[in-house]
Amino acid sequence: MKLALEALRPCLDGAIPAVIATCAEDGTPNVAYASQVHYVDTEHVALSYQFFSKTRENVLAHPYAQAQVIEPGSFRHFRLRLHYLRTETTGPLFEYMKAQLAGIASQTGMDKVFVLRGADIYRVLDIEVVDPELPPAPALSDALLRLRRALELLDDSADLSELADGALVALSPNFCIHHALLLMLDEAGDALYTLASLGYANSGIGAEVKVGEGIIGVAAREKIPVRINYRTGDYSYQAAMRATRPGEARIPLPVLAEPHSQIAVPLIRGGQLVGVLYAESEHDTCFSHADEDALVVYARHLAMLISQVPCEPDDAAPARTETSARPSGVPLHIRHFPADHSIFIDNDYLIKGVAGSILWTLLNEHVATGRLDFCNRELRRDPRLQLPDFGHNLETRLLLLQRRLAERCSAIALEKTGRGRFHLVLERPLTLSPG
Amino acid sequence: MSVKLTVEQSVFLQGPVSINVATAGRDGWPCVCRAQGCMVAHDRKAVTVLLSARRGQAVLDALDGGGGIAVVFSRPATHATLQLKAGHAARTALKTVHRNCATLYARGLADELMMLGYGADLGQGLIAMMTATDLVALRFAPEIVFDQTPGPAAGRVLVAA
Repeated sequence: MKLALEALRPCLDGAIPAVIATCAEDGTPNVAYASQVHYVDTEHVALSYQFFSKTRENVLAHPYAQAQVIEPGSFRHFRLRLHYLRTETTGPLFEYMKAQLAGIASQTGMDKVFVLRGADIYRVLDIEVVDPELPPAPALSDALLRLRRALELLDDSADLSELADGALVALSPNFCIHHALLLMLDEAGDALYTLASLGYANSGIGAEVKVGEGIIGVAAREKIPVRINYRTGDYSYQAAMRATRPGEARIPLPVLAEPHSQIAVPLIRGGQLVGVLYAESEHDTCFSHADEDALVVYARHLAMLISQVPCEPDDAAPARTETSARPSGVPLHIRHFPADHSIFIDNDYLIKGVAGSILWTLLNEHVATGRLDFCNRELRRDPRLQLPDFGHNLETRLLLLQRRLAERCSAIALEKTGRGRFHLVLERPLTLSPG
Repeated sequence: MSVKLTVEQSVFLQGPVSINVATAGRDGWPCVCRAQGCMVAHDRKAVTVLLSARRGQAVLDALDGGGGIAVVFSRPATHATLQLKAGHAARTALKTVHRNCATLYARGLADELMMLGYGADLGQGLIAMMTATDLVALRFAPEIVFDQTPGPAAGRVLVAA
């Protein structure tokens, strides 16, 4: 039976370097180590092009090669007959390999030395099993079964808040993931904000990552999963910048200082990016190809569930629940900066963007009319928010706002009073100042 | 015309290094196989590498057909890598010293990999794979030596005839 290229994916994770043999036009052979042999699809692999090497010179002149790859855990060897087709210097495959190379470079002590210049695409013409007598590596746990169990846990989520937290909690028993983030795309489409986190001392709720920045941003921009199996010192592939510039309103991402494995998987719904699921570990080679496959499916399912939340009808208007007790104590000083809708409470940064705009609108409404009960539908239609495509983001932004308030300001809270309905809780009087 | 290897190069080639041999057949297809040990001649002008006849059949056939030889040696612990090339290689009679070399080589490389944290499974797999009873000794006189340690200097000629 012909061996399928998919079966060799464990050999293509960079744990044991591959070698590649080529020959010049005059027949002189060359044999060299390949930093990366990347699985592209059922018929193709890609090799990293970092320097103009003899291997590259040879395949440009004589486009045939043989790669020898090794299965970790068994040391079985396989030989792939390859036909060089083309080199890609941009696009999803290039970006994925660039990210992975950063991890491989670090593992081999080549930080800042390995820079991907291209992804050389080869068609795999034949696969030879060199050691048919050796037993295969012990089978990994069944990723499909683990996926099924994780998805079953999502069924119990009553609302977006439970869904966001439950989606990360479900990863722990099924994928041994103990550090993870759920990030959603903002309305402008150029940044992601953290909606939920798992396993960090600080939740990082509200922390942002620019699209294209770090492993999370690359996964978002290219709409591809990106998996790095080794610690990388390459700054651009750390999850995000940790330094906060003086005076900048920024919530730091709560990621590990030195993750040894990272995976970022886009949440895609109908071809559109919704967010990114990110996980990391202190251990090398924590995430396999099978894990990546499972998490891609998981993330798509999660994207669908999150996107369905706004489709659920709001409850009918409940009786007003405003309390007569007036807030007391020293007034909270709320400042709003219209440029980015950032909100500061007693000079401490709270939130910005859509969530900031929502809070500013609610507080102004309360000051003007005394209202404390609101519904999502009216917010979607509120002209003061002036936000395009607002409806799709409202529920996630309300949850973000609710969580930031719970963490940073105990005197203001948003309490859910029904589907699509919530109550503003104020324990101190307000002083509102436009920035 | 062969080159004379340095003492350091000789020690390196006979140490715990991963060894892979390549050539090209008359049909123009390159082929590669893992070697199972290396011995450098006393005068440091010839190198003998040991292959399993079955695992390296395509390589051996191509070399028998007159193909040139390229051999890469890489130490996992340091990533230091050398490539040696010659216009041809010839089979030589297998001796006890070759068998002993292969046995010691497998243990040495397995120890090196386990020390690097690759795990006992891989080390045992390597030893199992390298207990070939069909060893072939291939002797060649290196004509050019390249430094192939990963990095922008990879491919630099260290010595050429």
